[in-house]
Amino acid sequence: MAFSDQAKNSFYYHYSPTYKFSVGVEAVEIRQNGDEHSYLRLTYLLDRKNTQKSQRNLYLQSGVDPVDLDHYFYGVLGDWETRRLFSGFGYKRIVDNKIDFEENFVQFGIAPYLGDYGDLHTWIMVKSKKNTLFRSWSTYPVLRLFKGNGFAEFGYSDQSQWDIHLMYRF
Amino acid sequence: MKKITAVMLLFATTSVVTANENADHAMHQADVFVDGSTVDIDPEQIKQFTSDLQGGQVAVVSVMGMVCDFCARGIEKTFKRDKSVAKVDVDLSKGKVLIAFDTEEPIDRAEIDRKILANGQNVTAVLMLNI
Repeated sequence: MAFSDQAKNSFYYHYSPTYKFSVGVEAVEIRQNGDEHSYLRLTYLLDRKNTQKSQRNLYLQSGVDPVDLDHYFYGVLGDWETRRLFSGFGYKRIVDNKIDFEENFVQFGIAPYLGDYGDLHTWIMVKSKKNTLFRSWSTYPVLRLFKGNGFAEFGYSDQSQWDIHLMYRF
Repeated sequence: MKKITAVMLLFATTSVVTANENADHAMHQADVFVDGSTVDIDPEQIKQFTSDLQGGQVAVVSVMGMVCDFCARGIEKTFKRDKSVAKVDVDLSKGKVLIAFDTEEPIDRAEIDRKILANGQNVTAVLMLNI
């Protein structure tokens, strides 16, 4: 998984022994000060509710730099989705010796068409994000595409610049 | 930064993704019910799915929480690791997984449940069809 926005660039490789949790390594560059960190990450599924037409998830996310234990993060992620609608939120607090900051976001989306299994799936979304390093909320359109094991999400605003999320499932 | 950028570019590059008689038999020989009383099957779908099969069994599995293609990929991968599984198809619109088993041996319903649950979804019903 690769991620880039105005606050950081990161590359995350993880393995999920069960659907309940995943462990991995994330390399992060904090754009504000140029610092680079490698995190050992744990994501844990706190709650999942499946229905015939929807799924709701609540995750706990955490990570620590094994070289610098004073550098770590924690937070929660949640989403609810049907084949047509998506909503999600996230909170993350990053603790650093130099800069502590928080990232918050909410995201809503709609699928303009319902593709079959194996088709290209498209979501048109709106995301609002606040990074305490940059103070104000930024709201911008996001295009999410996935096909097969590939996933890509692109958002852009004048304020936040590019918000890119790429993922491949092996 | 250069390392991260290089890895991201590499990642981005790799993530650009990249009617026959048997079917009729399948419908007539739905004689092995595990818990399939509530399974709503589409005869045309079964016909198409079994068109290239020479025998064995098909499990029609109703799944809750299968709302996303990307999330359902794990189900297909899990079942394809089983050597007795000939093919797998997912119907997102009906919440169904079709699994063709290349064996006449009884299929363990609990094993199907376990594999679906391992991917984070729940099985509500299974209907077994002999091809």
